[in-house]
Amino acid sequence: MSARWQRLATGSTTWIILILAGLIVAFSVLEPSSFSTVNNARNLATNAAILLVVSVGMTFVIITAGIDLSVGSVLVFAGVVSAKAMNGMDGDGAGVILVGLVVALAAGLGWGVLNGLLITKARVPSLIVTLGTLGMALGLALIITNGVDIREVPPKLVTGIGVGRAFGEIPWLVLIAVGVAIFFGVLLHATRFGRHTYAIGSNEEAARRAGIAVDRHLIAVYGISGLLSGLAGFLSLARFATTTIGGHATDNLQAIAAVVLGGTSLFGGIGTVLGTVVGVFIPAVLENGFVITGVEAFWRDVAVGAVLIAAVYLDQLRRRTQYRD
Amino acid sequence: MRKWAAVLLLALAAGTVAACGDDDEGGGGGASDSGGSDYKMTLIAGVKGDEFYITMNCGAQEAAKKIGATLEFQGPDQFDAAQQTPIVDAVAAKSPDAILIAPTDTKALFAPITQAAQNSKIVLVDTTLDDPSMAVSQIASDNVGGGRTAGETLLDLIGGKGKVMVVNVKPGISTTDQRGQGFEEAVKGKPGVEYLGQEYSQDDPAKAAAIVTATLAKHPDLKGIFAANLFSAEGAASGLRQAGKEDQVKIVGFDAGPKQVEDLEAGIVQALIAQQPAEIGRLGVEQAAAALDGKETRPEIGTDFEVITKDNLAEKQDALYKPSC
Repeated sequence: MSARWQRLATGSTTWIILILAGLIVAFSVLEPSSFSTVNNARNLATNAAILLVVSVGMTFVIITAGIDLSVGSVLVFAGVVSAKAMNGMDGDGAGVILVGLVVALAAGLGWGVLNGLLITKARVPSLIVTLGTLGMALGLALIITNGVDIREVPPKLVTGIGVGRAFGEIPWLVLIAVGVAIFFGVLLHATRFGRHTYAIGSNEEAARRAGIAVDRHLIAVYGISGLLSGLAGFLSLARFATTTIGGHATDNLQAIAAVVLGGTSLFGGIGTVLGTVVGVFIPAVLENGFVITGVEAFWRDVAVGAVLIAAVYLDQLRRRTQYRD
Repeated sequence: MRKWAAVLLLALAAGTVAACGDDDEGGGGGASDSGGSDYKMTLIAGVKGDEFYITMNCGAQEAAKKIGATLEFQGPDQFDAAQQTPIVDAVAAKSPDAILIAPTDTKALFAPITQAAQNSKIVLVDTTLDDPSMAVSQIASDNVGGGRTAGETLLDLIGGKGKVMVVNVKPGISTTDQRGQGFEEAVKGKPGVEYLGQEYSQDDPAKAAAIVTATLAKHPDLKGIFAANLFSAEGAASGLRQAGKEDQVKIVGFDAGPKQVEDLEAGIVQALIAQQPAEIGRLGVEQAAAALDGKETRPEIGTDFEVITKDNLAEKQDALYKPSC
């Protein structure tokens, strides 16, 4: 068997894709007329899109053996300041929306860079730093809004990007999420920046001695995570026409679960964006499939948790046999 | 070989849980007792663990059984638009004959419900949308009247003067917005009454408790609290207990869940405004069936509420909410 096929067959991404395929087949067999329809697929993809954007950023962070718990709060904060900025301007045309986007990205990037600085310069572990910024970002968002969701959003943003479709078929949210995944996938797998990311995750000290500017690189990585959380906040604003302050408390754990399901190691050095894409879809398909097959609401949570553990266990099995020789 | 078996097992496991869940929901076959309507309906609550919606489901299940329809019950973990939307999408994918839903936001749920309306009859129960034109019926308590009654009851309890406040849920929920509005109508402008305004608990009892203890710290002479829904009332009562001010401050709560009844019996809460969720559920199923039969529906139905105090608790047992059917 050629080396490439061998790598593909034993690759972690392959197995997770098979698991996802298995779930899709199972649900399609159980409820063919409901589950495997274009509309359902479209809705599933739309609902997963925002989490995917966040998870792509999280992939970079976890590959460097770090963690970013602040993503949900940064998402909310970015949405809040973006909405405030757009509402503070006259009119609601494309120019205003563009300003809103820039504000959201800048806010996200700001928090990300702050995370990176504290982790690299102040030498505080990423778990603690991002736990702190989780509280700070959400708290500031609550202060700015007085705890009350902002529900005025330029209508063109909602009808255009939030629920609009390209070519009448593919939702813009899905296209944007796919675009983000492709761009950052290429960045991770085909550029020096990506290679350095893996190197730092594998062995930070060795990377530093090999001449990689580790601190600057890590700041960039956390900056990417923050930037993508900011983008996700803007997209969430477009989708729901409200800042949904209370609805993102577990986004960080969901993103981590998606990234880990996708085969990225929490210890760093291993991971793919494609894996993350698949990892985002497994809980989404489970939720969607369980509602469609009529599983009682509470069982859903049990099942999603169980599948998460099972899927990662399978991956660990594969890893152990692979390294045995 | 082992790996293939494991993947297959995983898919089978997910499928089995789904299939088992399906049976539990009573969806086993179309044989019905009376009549031959055989309609498939789904009730989507605003939040899963709330006795108000559980009682609504009980009433709806009874009505469904009478006409030979099957009713499924779904709901998000939190009262939040971002969490309710994927559930609405998944339910819509099944194209049930009718969907009874309590939208968690008057704007954000418009798009998903409109999409669901393409294949199912929509009945809005409890909460409603800014634009309810896609629904065949809206059924809710007269929440403005309920809020007004709560205001009058609270004023009676505190002897007509003193500081009063409202612990509400979050803006954008039609029902609780109206209750706050009704309460304000009753207390504003009354001589000797200082209205401190509304605080938002985000439908979280812990937050409601924190709001009450903080307000007591700022206004030690607080006399009355109106808690606008079940979780807010639970939290407000526990906040009072924490601060040890049960004797000084009177609470009027909306909704009559088991915890609130306990508080009523313990004397921490003085009055509960009970809605009729079972009635709302029953009417929802009836309106949906009428629409499916091609008969006329009532676009708006208002249900009553009752004031429950420690004195009349014994007679009003039927009005209390149930934790299970």
